[in-house]
Amino acid sequence: MQWSLSFLLFCFLAVVHALSSSGNRLLVVLEDAAEKDLYFTFWSDLEARGYDLVFQSPKSDQLSLFDLGERAYDHLLLLPPRSKGFGPSLSPKNIVDFLNKDGNVLLALSGKSTTPSAISSLLLELDLHLATDRSSVVVDHFNYDTLSATDKHDVLLLQRPGQLRPDTKAYFDGEGVLALPNAAPHTLGDNSLVAPILRAPATAYSYNPKEDVGAVEEVWATGSQLALVSAMQTRSSSRFTLLGSVESLQDKWFSATVKTPGDGKETTTANQEFAKQLTAWTFKETGVLKVGKIEHHLAKDDLTSEDLNPTIYRIKNETVFNIEVSEYSYDKFVPFEVPANDALQLEFTMLSPFHRLKLEPSSRTENSTIYSAQFTVPDQHGIFSFRVNYKRPFLTNIEEKHEVTVRHYAHNEYPRSWKISGGWVWIAGLWSVIGGFLAFVFVWLYSEPTSAKVKKTQ
Amino acid sequence: MAESPLDVLLKGNSGRTTRGLLRFIILATIAAAAVSSRLFSVIRFESIIHEFDPWFNFRATKYLVQHGFESFWDWFDDRTWHPLGRVTGGTLYPGLMVTSGVIYHVLRFLTIPVDIRNICVLLAPGFSGLTALAMYFLTCEMTTSPSAGLLAAAFMGIVPGYISRSVAGSYDNEAIAIFLLVFTFFLWIKAVKNGSIMWGALAALFYGYMVSAWGGYVFITNLIPLHVFVLLCMGRYSSRIYISYTTWYALGTLASMQIPFVGFLPIRNSDHMSALGVFGLIQLVAFADFVRGFIPGKHFQRLLTTMIIVVFGVAFVGLVVLTVSGVIAPWSGRFYSLWDTGYAKIHIPIIASVSEHQPTAWPAFFFDLNFLIWLFPAGVYMCFRDLKDEHVFVIIYSVLASYFAGVMVRLMLTLTPIVCVAAALALSTILDTYVFATNGPNPRAKANEDTSSEGLRSARKPDVGITSYFSKTVMTSSVVVYLLLFVAHCTWVTSNAYSSPSVVLASRMPDGSQHIIDDYREAYYWLRQNTAHNAKIMSWWDYGYQIGGMADRPTLVDNNTWNNTHIATVGKAMSSREEVSYPILRQHDVDYVLVVFGGLLGYSGDDINKFLWMVRIAEGIWPDEVKERDFFTARGEYRVDDGATPTMRNSLMYKMSYHNFNSMFQPGQAVDRVRGSRLPAEGPQLSTLEEAFTSENWIIRIYKVKDLDNLGRDHNTAVAFDKGNKRKRATKRKGPRVLRTE
Amino acid sequence: MPSASSSASGASLSSGPKTLTTNSSIYDIAHTVWQQYLATTPQRTLLLDAFMAFLVLVGGVQFVYCVLAGNYPFNAFLSGFCAAVGQFVLTASLRMQTSGSSTSTSTSSVGSGAKGKGKKGISVEGGAEEGAVSHERAFADYVFGSLILHFFCINFIN
Repeated sequence: MQWSLSFLLFCFLAVVHALSSSGNRLLVVLEDAAEKDLYFTFWSDLEARGYDLVFQSPKSDQLSLFDLGERAYDHLLLLPPRSKGFGPSLSPKNIVDFLNKDGNVLLALSGKSTTPSAISSLLLELDLHLATDRSSVVVDHFNYDTLSATDKHDVLLLQRPGQLRPDTKAYFDGEGVLALPNAAPHTLGDNSLVAPILRAPATAYSYNPKEDVGAVEEVWATGSQLALVSAMQTRSSSRFTLLGSVESLQDKWFSATVKTPGDGKETTTANQEFAKQLTAWTFKETGVLKVGKIEHHLAKDDLTSEDLNPTIYRIKNETVFNIEVSEYSYDKFVPFEVPANDALQLEFTMLSPFHRLKLEPSSRTENSTIYSAQFTVPDQHGIFSFRVNYKRPFLTNIEEKHEVTVRHYAHNEYPRSWKISGGWVWIAGLWSVIGGFLAFVFVWLYSEPTSAKVKKTQ
Repeated sequence: MAESPLDVLLKGNSGRTTRGLLRFIILATIAAAAVSSRLFSVIRFESIIHEFDPWFNFRATKYLVQHGFESFWDWFDDRTWHPLGRVTGGTLYPGLMVTSGVIYHVLRFLTIPVDIRNICVLLAPGFSGLTALAMYFLTCEMTTSPSAGLLAAAFMGIVPGYISRSVAGSYDNEAIAIFLLVFTFFLWIKAVKNGSIMWGALAALFYGYMVSAWGGYVFITNLIPLHVFVLLCMGRYSSRIYISYTTWYALGTLASMQIPFVGFLPIRNSDHMSALGVFGLIQLVAFADFVRGFIPGKHFQRLLTTMIIVVFGVAFVGLVVLTVSGVIAPWSGRFYSLWDTGYAKIHIPIIASVSEHQPTAWPAFFFDLNFLIWLFPAGVYMCFRDLKDEHVFVIIYSVLASYFAGVMVRLMLTLTPIVCVAAALALSTILDTYVFATNGPNPRAKANEDTSSEGLRSARKPDVGITSYFSKTVMTSSVVVYLLLFVAHCTWVTSNAYSSPSVVLASRMPDGSQHIIDDYREAYYWLRQNTAHNAKIMSWWDYGYQIGGMADRPTLVDNNTWNNTHIATVGKAMSSREEVSYPILRQHDVDYVLVVFGGLLGYSGDDINKFLWMVRIAEGIWPDEVKERDFFTARGEYRVDDGATPTMRNSLMYKMSYHNFNSMFQPGQAVDRVRGSRLPAEGPQLSTLEEAFTSENWIIRIYKVKDLDNLGRDHNTAVAFDKGNKRKRATKRKGPRVLRTE
Repeated sequence: MPSASSSASGASLSSGPKTLTTNSSIYDIAHTVWQQYLATTPQRTLLLDAFMAFLVLVGGVQFVYCVLAGNYPFNAFLSGFCAAVGQFVLTASLRMQTSGSSTSTSTSSVGSGAKGKGKKGISVEGGAEEGAVSHERAFADYVFGSLILHFFCINFIN
């Protein structure tokens, strides 16, 4: 008991100190302990950023992603296995479960060894496709490092990726050249959760060094159809990154000097910076959005706390909706800015949207932006919902849904008849009837005796 | 020996008061019998609301009691018809809820704390006692014989046709509506007889109350004008008719327009046009009659012809123009289905799908009315014998109600009162004829069932023919036997057929003891306790009110079938493949799907048996996507076993019903006890839903709708992956590859 | 005019003026009816008729206005119009009960029905027993009915 309590406390403290927005327990699966030294700079970079690294061999008995049904680690870094696969505790199903429980995975492959079929089938579930032979490398005769791969042309030199689309943020950009030795290529399916981070150049192609050159008959994919680094973000915003070249993380390539065939100028690689960006994104240090307060209320000036977030509106009410969004950037939340070509939108939906409005930033706090929109509730009663559905590559998903009831006019909210000028005629008619009736009753009662007399005389 | 004190009691002035007292006691006894015979269900089961509609009424009443009348009036119900909601306050007949609300508050004021549920449960029996009373008054207007009134009251009190809708717990509009119907008719007859504005106004007030209580008020709206019209055609116009009808119509129409649900219908809807037409007609007739007082016949004829031609021409053109231009709504669908029994089946499956709207089977008449059904024509004949205005009313009522009762089971209810009146007339005539055939000592005494004294009296005077001792004995005793049989039949029917709450099922164990099957409540309480307060439940509309009432969860559709498209959407979701249904479920925010399955127990009222109606209703809206034909085999059979069509076996309803059903049996031995067929060896696979709850006898099965797959796969693939099946790359890509552009 | 009224007042209702021939025009007939009416109606019934004429006028004006200007607050139109119509029929009923019985008592002591004549067969007996509703009772009923009517109308027009 004592132990578990202190463990909890420890975890809590660890989380507080962690830089990632979702914990710092990082499991590194490394088959050969000797290889660990090759990546020394990489490990120390991670540790410097607050991660608590645990190294395990895939064959180890203690290796388990889960502890009593809960995640035992927050993040998982998989280096390519030598043998046939990762073993039973890292089966594709376990890794998918890990993703479903909001764990983040960075999987690095290498073109040097054949990728195990278990990994291939895991990637298939994520709609990432490897070449059928699973042992190709990307070769490019125009963008290779003339210093280290003069013959094989399999060390690719690439510019760092910029914006993927005009409406996304660039998390991997910067100056410098990336060197990707022995990159295993993959292609992307049409799953919208998958986004490429780094594509191969148009002149690249996939080549299997173990087969004869002439044997390549069916071209699987070429050029920039081949992706080298890709990201998959699940609906629950857990992240999976596939890195085609594990060697690019090695110390050797962090500070290598490379030379492109064209101009022949020697430069140092930006691999270290890129690795930082890649792990930071994968382990949720960047591109994490958080929704703060959500408020909706009638558009009026004197608001009390009871007026906030009512459960019921009336048709044609004037309504204001506010949402507070902040973005996590390495170690703190900062106000979220929507990319220039994009918009954060509010939908007012019942079965289909009745309103789709752009949320404009109305105010800004120290670490969040408040977006708001004002609109008139449509002339349709029902159960509506305020929805903010913002899903962009590299940003965690915002899917907010707040149900409110929109009711009809109550019977005493319609204009009274006397307020409608058209009704005056009939009101006058009604009252003249009633007045006539009263007058008649009086006259009748007054005339009673005479009439009775008349009757008698007749 | 015995008759001398009786004679003293029953004769003269003291006799009048004695008879009055007796009559009062008998009426009180009848009312008590009427109430107590309806309590079977409470004794057998418990004090619980029955069936489907009463659950809504109960829920509405609770709302009314809790939130007060004002907010009840404006009630927007966001827990039904998700996500459309329902303007409940403006689309219901509030009479029932307001009545029990008033009773509740009166009792509270008298410091009698009563649970509102008990008021609701016992409202129908209470009002049935009042109905018996109203019946007495109505029948007394028809005949001079006091025994007829008492007989009619007794019949009304225990006749199964009425008990069927008014047992304790059957908290439905009909519970008070039949009382109002009978009482309104009584007031109307009174008005016609007296020609007084007051009775007419009272009739209008009760008509207004009736309008607020039941949609069947249209029956009164059409019957009274028809009565007046027939009287006019018979040349019986009199100022009494003018006074009573115009008063009733003017006040009654205004009163009915006060109900928001009815609103402008009385002047817009064709159902109400006959009343308006007769109103206009009687004005003309009155005017003509008035003018006739001044001029000789021949001139009057000419004047009349001119007037008639002009007026009818104008009226006809006006009606056509208004109907074509849409100012007057066309006849409502339910009304059409009254005239043409095939109409509903073709055009409005939703109306035809309700079992209450099916044509009546012949045995049902005898079952519900017993020997009254053959006394009924005799009673109508009695009315022809002395044809006063009120008898014309009885005849018209009989003819109309008989027809309607033949068309719709539910309208048996409107037939019942007039059957009681007519049968009581006939029976009392028989009794009067036989018992007082000779100038007996007390010709005006009531001749209910005191045969012993009658027999003794006639023993003194043996005679031939109907006055003979023998024939009197035979007649009276046979009548008594019939009456006793009737009582026995009523009791039997009530206790066996009409006292089941249908929420709780009862079955007999092999040893004869009663076994309660409580799956409905089990499931509803599961929902209540294990799901989020706002979890949306999709089920077929039959169970909407119960889910709303017992589980207190929002539903998509319920028994108030105001939106056919929405119901068809549910029907489509149930009858389509999972891939089609799932987006529908997502779009409507459905969290759980509830189906009723009787296959394990042999409970025939389950969803597979109702399934074809879902298909038909969905087909009405999406004829291209749902086709009833696809659910039948090539030989036109509706099957669930190996021979079932692929459409059937892929439909969501089939999958949900038979999901895991195989696991209850030995391999290959799964048998559906309702359809009596052996099921396929391999059960259906569900991928978009997962089983959440199945009740003890599998009657209710609840499924949870899965969220979208976290990895963006479709559900089939995800389920296959979870089961450990390796995905074949070859099956992955069909057609040309899609290139990503970014 | 006065001469016609004096001559007709004593005569039975069925015998019209001699000037009317069998083939006289509709207009003539109508004219005669009017003459007859003025002649035979007691003063109090005239009062009733004046009130009814007023109601017809009010109702007619409302209806015409509705046709011309549209019926936007439909409930207002309905309650205004229905008030006029309802009051009219109630007044007509009152007229029948009062004037009808007065004429019947004045013309025939037996009182064979509310209308005095023009009815046949069985219904006459029905009329006879009800014919004599006292004026006070009729008037009380009338007020009762009218009050209900007004209540509904005012509620409906809100």
